[in-house]
Amino acid sequence: MRLFFKLVYRDINLVIKGASDTGAAILFYLLAIIMFPLSSGTDTNLLTTIAGGAIWMAALFASLLSLDRLFRSDFEDGSLEQIVLSGMSMEIIVLSKCLAHWLTNGLPIVLLSPILSLIMGLDYEYWWILAITLLIGTPSLTLIGATPAALSCAIGKGGVLTALVLLPLMLPVLILGSGAISAEISGLGGKGHLYALSAIFPISLLVSPFLASRSIRLGWE
Amino acid sequence: MKNIFNFLANPSRFRIFAKNVYPFSLIGMFIFIFIGLWFSLYNSPPDYQQGETVRIMYVHVPAAWMAMMVYLSMTIMSIFSLVWRHPLADILSKCSAPIGAMFTLIALVTGSIWGKPTWGTWWVWDARLTSVFILFLIYMGHIALVRAFEDEYKGARAGAILTLFGAFNLPIIKFSVDWWNTLHQPASVIKLDGPSIHIDMMVPLVLMAFGFLFFYFSFLLINVQTELNHRKLKKLFIKKLN
Repeated sequence: MRLFFKLVYRDINLVIKGASDTGAAILFYLLAIIMFPLSSGTDTNLLTTIAGGAIWMAALFASLLSLDRLFRSDFEDGSLEQIVLSGMSMEIIVLSKCLAHWLTNGLPIVLLSPILSLIMGLDYEYWWILAITLLIGTPSLTLIGATPAALSCAIGKGGVLTALVLLPLMLPVLILGSGAISAEISGLGGKGHLYALSAIFPISLLVSPFLASRSIRLGWE
Repeated sequence: MKNIFNFLANPSRFRIFAKNVYPFSLIGMFIFIFIGLWFSLYNSPPDYQQGETVRIMYVHVPAAWMAMMVYLSMTIMSIFSLVWRHPLADILSKCSAPIGAMFTLIALVTGSIWGKPTWGTWWVWDARLTSVFILFLIYMGHIALVRAFEDEYKGARAGAILTLFGAFNLPIIKFSVDWWNTLHQPASVIKLDGPSIHIDMMVPLVLMAFGFLFFYFSFLLINVQTELNHRKLKKLFIKKLN
């Protein structure tokens, strides 16, 4: 357990020191959201209707960008092998990587979302549903993305292929997350979407460490 | 039964098996599809609401079934490949993916053509249509991923992992019409209290479904033969170099 937190601490430290591109992904998140009003007009009514979806899409792309190198940079310079030699099981390593990724990528996205909802003209009373969907959804995004990210180690290259494999798997989270917001705004109540969204997290928590560690081992075979 | 599986596990033996079984499968495909087409185009009643457009169903529904069936078989083969490292399961799974993707595309396109006269729109983003579209994207991701590896063995393993991960989509597709309010109609053939479709429409539907099943077998057998020949050629080439 001590090793687990040490590993999380190490990964967060790497982000703070700028060795990983997770910080850039957060900047990308802000930039991508600014693109929406600039591209589809600054009409407030229109912005209010697309705000939830736009913020969710930006969050999805930001985590996609940073997930690409979730394991690969450690895999390539050999530090992942050294971590495995410490005797921790591969599944726990995957979980610690995911936790560190969520703390540096998902959490800032959630924390920034109330401010961004103001910029996008989302009504003040709906910021909480946006924050809750992101809070439930971003850990699932990280966990779902872990397996394709680990597969990119085995291929030896990432980029478009990882995105191609990753996006269809992430779509349910996007649909339920932005669906909850639009259902809440239209007065139907977003609880149903929220329940389904929160069901994805435990399932991916169970499945993805095994598949991701299997994929990393594939790179060493 | 176990002996048959062990016997066919050897790729070169399977190649001979595939070569011998392929003509029968092709004949089965032609017989079922021709009789099925005759039934569905001439010998089945038009729908009392939709009229003649209901005949699209005889292509659309079997294609959609096959799209899911192929993915289900790929899932089972992936378990075989990951747990028992079965050499043939990798190849079968790799060769199934393009056929499954094509069935999914047929289901989407015919559904769209059927949707225009009956729903008044080519496409709606309801749960059934979206989940089938996601299935198509997963197929395409699988095809791209498996072929991205230089080592075929690794590529097949990676494909198996992706297939297992994407299998979450199958129950969503099946139950999407029950869980959400969709424009797509709920299940009327495969459900717990028996089919609610009339026998005159059921017969061509089942015939076409068998035709499509044999279509899958035939093309799978061709693909497997090509893949095995390709691998053998590579081995011979390497042997020659040494």
